[in-house]
Amino acid sequence: MNRSTALSLVAALALAGGIACSDIISPSRSARYDWRLFITYDSGGPQVDTLSFHWPRTSLPVRIWVEDQFSAPQRIQQGIALWRNAFLYGEWDGRIVADSTTADVIVRTIQPPPLTLPAPPRLGAFVPSCLGATDIDTVNTRFQLRLPIRIYVYPSIPGAPDLDECLRTVAAHELGHSLGLFQHSPDSLDLMYAVPTADALTNRDHGTAENAYHFRADMVPFRP
Amino acid sequence: MRILRRTLVLALLCPAALAGQIRYSASLDFMGGTKLSTDRIFQDITVNQKLAPTVVLGASLPVSARERFGVELGLGFGGTNIKESGFPTTSGPSYRTLSLTGGVEGPIFHRLRYRAGAGILKYLPDKQDFFRTGGPTLLLLTGGASYHIPLKGDLALVARLRYDYQRFSSDEFAANGFTRTQDVHRLGGGLGIEFQLP
Repeated sequence: MNRSTALSLVAALALAGGIACSDIISPSRSARYDWRLFITYDSGGPQVDTLSFHWPRTSLPVRIWVEDQFSAPQRIQQGIALWRNAFLYGEWDGRIVADSTTADVIVRTIQPPPLTLPAPPRLGAFVPSCLGATDIDTVNTRFQLRLPIRIYVYPSIPGAPDLDECLRTVAAHELGHSLGLFQHSPDSLDLMYAVPTADALTNRDHGTAENAYHFRADMVPFRP
Repeated sequence: MRILRRTLVLALLCPAALAGQIRYSASLDFMGGTKLSTDRIFQDITVNQKLAPTVVLGASLPVSARERFGVELGLGFGGTNIKESGFPTTSGPSYRTLSLTGGVEGPIFHRLRYRAGAGILKYLPDKQDFFRTGGPTLLLLTGGASYHIPLKGDLALVARLRYDYQRFSSDEFAANGFTRTQDVHRLGGGLGIEFQLP
């Protein structure tokens, strides 16, 4: 190879690099449902506000305390992995902690206590063998989310043959509410459907979670 | 092709004779590059590369009076930043890269030499986020120049300027519906030594 051939090769390489202009194409994320919280408040009459929430990066990983009954820690651990894998850029992560006083989310395996007025929004999951609920307390300002978020996952038919599966699904569903998905999906195939049967996230769940974490958050977590 | 064939024949037939002509090199480069990917979820999201220190070991042998054929093994330590308008820039997954390239080098002018080649680049990432299912193995085109300053005997100090080109994607991106690949250009420089064993 003589010098001119070699230089031509170098030039060709540089040119190939310089003129190549292929960009990766991101997928459409149009398949989604609304995740935002609708809050009624009084301002010269009843008004409705639509609020979005996601955990700020500084709060990650979200600390989750889980009552050790009905294999709830394993169920929640599975739910954490499920939701963590919904994201490409590390938008959410969670870990189970031993001390409930420092937890951002508390998961109990008992029936939720009755709500007292003024009641914070309670989101639920209603599957025959087990039930779930998540209390979202937006305090008085609407723009603060009081910590810890309280989740309840418990059997409604003790000893039911599908109890294990039911608890796993409902735990992941309620964990989804704690992420900031404050609505139920209208599609029965989605994990965030009100009567969930899915054991994995659908494209709609996935896309909705991504949207929630790239949308301006109106609420910030607040620990009294 | 002629050079490659000649090199292979030489390597097979007379390794002992070639041993005395092999020049070895070791260098520390710093590589900066263009974005690894772009996305859009309400806002534009860009995955940028951090400056990657890269250790490069090489060996070359003559294939003509002026040109040498060489192989280089590089180990880089990279990272990513994720930038999204309206959100703070955050750190993404870190990774190491292992590259193996072969190429031709020869004189340009005085002590300035060129190098052009191709090879493979393997990403060895922390398995998270868009690298959750591992890192890709990509084709790599390289080019560059180096300036040689003789020190003592067969030892030389080498200042290097390196460019490489790859088309990036990851299995996780593909599984999430991303299509095509991202052109990634990297440019870097570094210092090293080159020597010949007796």
